[in-house]
Amino acid sequence: MENKMTAQVSQGKVASDGLVGMIFLLASEGMFFAGLISAYIVNRAGAMEWPPANQPRLPIEVTAVNTFILLLSGFFIVRFRMNNRNSQTEAIKSKGLIKLSLLLGLIFLIVQGSEWVRLLHFGLTTRSSLYGAFFYTIIGAHGLHVFAGLLTLLYLSNKLKKQVGFNMKSIIDSCSIYWLFVVVIWPVLYYLVYLS
Amino acid sequence: MENGQHQQSFIQKYIFSTDHKVIGMQYAINGLLMAIAGGFLAYVFRYNLAFPGKDIPLFGQLSPMQYNTFITNHGMIMVFWVGMPLLLSSLGNFLIPTMVGTDDMAFPTLNMLSFWIFFVSSIVLLLAFFVPGGAYGGGWTMYPPLSANAYMNPNPDFFQALFSGASLMLLAVALEFVAMLMGGINFVVTTINKRAKGMTAFRIPLIVWFIDIASVIFMFAVGPLVAGAFMLLLDITVGTGFFDAARGGDPILWQHLFWFFGHPEVYVLLLPSLGVLGEILPVFSRKPLFAYKSIIYMALFSAVLSVVVWAHHQFVSGIDPRMATFFSIGTIIISIPFAGIFLAFMATLWGGSIKFTTPMLFALGFIGLFLVGGLTGLFLGSNAFDIYAHDSYFVVAHFHYTLFPDIFFGFFAAFYYWFPKFVGKDLDKTLGKIHFWLTTIFFNLTFFLLFFNGLAGEHRRINNYSFFGNVNKEPYTTFEKICTVGAILLILSQFVFVINLIKTLRSGKKAAKNPWNATTLEWVTDSPPKHGNFDTFPVVYRGPYEYSVPGCNEDYLPQNQEN
Ligand SMILES: [Cu+2]
Repeated sequence: MENKMTAQVSQGKVASDGLVGMIFLLASEGMFFAGLISAYIVNRAGAMEWPPANQPRLPIEVTAVNTFILLLSGFFIVRFRMNNRNSQTEAIKSKGLIKLSLLLGLIFLIVQGSEWVRLLHFGLTTRSSLYGAFFYTIIGAHGLHVFAGLLTLLYLSNKLKKQVGFNMKSIIDSCSIYWLFVVVIWPVLYYLVYLS
Repeated sequence: MENGQHQQSFIQKYIFSTDHKVIGMQYAINGLLMAIAGGFLAYVFRYNLAFPGKDIPLFGQLSPMQYNTFITNHGMIMVFWVGMPLLLSSLGNFLIPTMVGTDDMAFPTLNMLSFWIFFVSSIVLLLAFFVPGGAYGGGWTMYPPLSANAYMNPNPDFFQALFSGASLMLLAVALEFVAMLMGGINFVVTTINKRAKGMTAFRIPLIVWFIDIASVIFMFAVGPLVAGAFMLLLDITVGTGFFDAARGGDPILWQHLFWFFGHPEVYVLLLPSLGVLGEILPVFSRKPLFAYKSIIYMALFSAVLSVVVWAHHQFVSGIDPRMATFFSIGTIIISIPFAGIFLAFMATLWGGSIKFTTPMLFALGFIGLFLVGGLTGLFLGSNAFDIYAHDSYFVVAHFHYTLFPDIFFGFFAAFYYWFPKFVGKDLDKTLGKIHFWLTTIFFNLTFFLLFFNGLAGEHRRINNYSFFGNVNKEPYTTFEKICTVGAILLILSQFVFVINLIKTLRSGKKAAKNPWNATTLEWVTDSPPKHGNFDTFPVVYRGPYEYSVPGCNEDYLPQNQEN
């Protein structure tokens, strides 16, 4: 279905369905993180001491490197999108970039996880202080988004194994924009939670 | 799926269907079933209020704890599991593809998923009644510390806490929001990308505009609440203490996150119903919709404003007086565009040749009742009066005068109007009118006197007023009884609707393509529209409200008519 008729007889698309839909989803996601961040800022402003004296420091340096890894992953997705503006064949040819991006995203997630294990070991838990609670909630929420983003990249690279037809552009647009969102929001969270 | 001719199994066709019309039907049925649940809860606690301590027919004794549980879930169900699915999801699914002239939603599979997630959310909500400790009873706004400590254990066991009433309610709400988000994305993308040729922005029928604006408001406002719900769930299950003042948390923070969504939610529920009026009033007064473009601009203006007035719900929680003034002014300003929209509707009726069909009656009833709700809302918007009336029955009566007409009159108007199109049979006119009159009379009987009880200082959320001298006297105790009788009759009069429905489905006359002589695209296709909606995609040449155009043979020009 998704008839040939629609193509001829509709008002025409503003952008691919996937892109338009993803923009609205990400607006909602952005507001979700805005909610978490404002809760964090409000609570932090009201706290006596931040971070609390008896709590371990966050691993700033390791995470800086990790931030770089994630940004690199985002860079490859941008490259991928620039390569295939017009043709599906191009997209299929440059699907190596997606795999690269996927790999870097996976490394990011693994490093984050191992840092969590260390922090838990040092006594930073969700119940040890609000500091810990916010850390695990905000960074955890982002981690879940990274995980979901990796799944979409996996889905995309699987789709690109063959010519798929009409909704290819929709899939490429939505998956890559979603990953870009996950990448771009990270430095903001890193700055707010680790640095400031 | 060419021409929708191929064979589909029953399950494909009616259960796991991706057809927007079937999904719209599923949402309507699920919403109406939940309305029965919500109505039953209302019956039980209304009966208890009039006759405290007496055995309640069909139920038995109601404990104070159960009373709290029932009012909490009544609110939750009516707003999120009746209002949202009936007005937004059901109408959006039926109307958007057919009115913009396309075959289905932009993402049909996502649309199907949206319904099934909604279905699961209803089950999760009702399941909470059967877990140890029962459903959550701390008010539908779920304010901490009540909600955060609902599972009263400083060292919560994760799974035990997860299956407590408070957690299940939060999970149900979260699932419901995911479903609505998926639906909203579909509505907006379908409208933006799949319109018929010639359907320019200002030829889109008002209801499509309004459902889309409502969806966008929802998507924008829901994020912070989901963040808050996530944090609250962690407080309950893991013991994080975000909202626990003793551990440095901030209980007021929840109120901000909740009402940042909660106030816009009012418009999410209101706009689709106003859209219904926008379609029905012109058809039955045979006049173009007055100031169509201005109405859309006013709605957009109020959408923007809706996210900066939330703290008027917190005048009593205590906020900086300077901020209180800001929020008071914002609240009063936001009523201006809505007053404008209602005036435009009045102007549409003015001098028209009005036909009092069942949908028109419900539409006019909506306007009349909503006026009472809107005016009393203006009182509450000023923080001086609000501090007096806060949490009293005045507030209860006020929001029932807005939400009941909005949800039920809006939905019934739409139901009687579009039923012939989407089911293909004509409803009984007499039964429809009886349904309207009984509903209107008994609605007023139920809620009007509560304004006086509220002004006398009757506080809501109390299951037995025997110990409150200021209201445990005449006439207020009699008023309570009258309200309860009204509520029971209001519920019983809905059987007229059920009878009409059964009768029509069994032996109703086949509906014509365009029984109301309306102009919009859904009336161009068959009743009911087949899979794929249109034989050939329509082309649009004109706006949606060309009634009584001078110099025409007919008194209306369909959108797809070339000249
Ligand atoms: Cu409000």
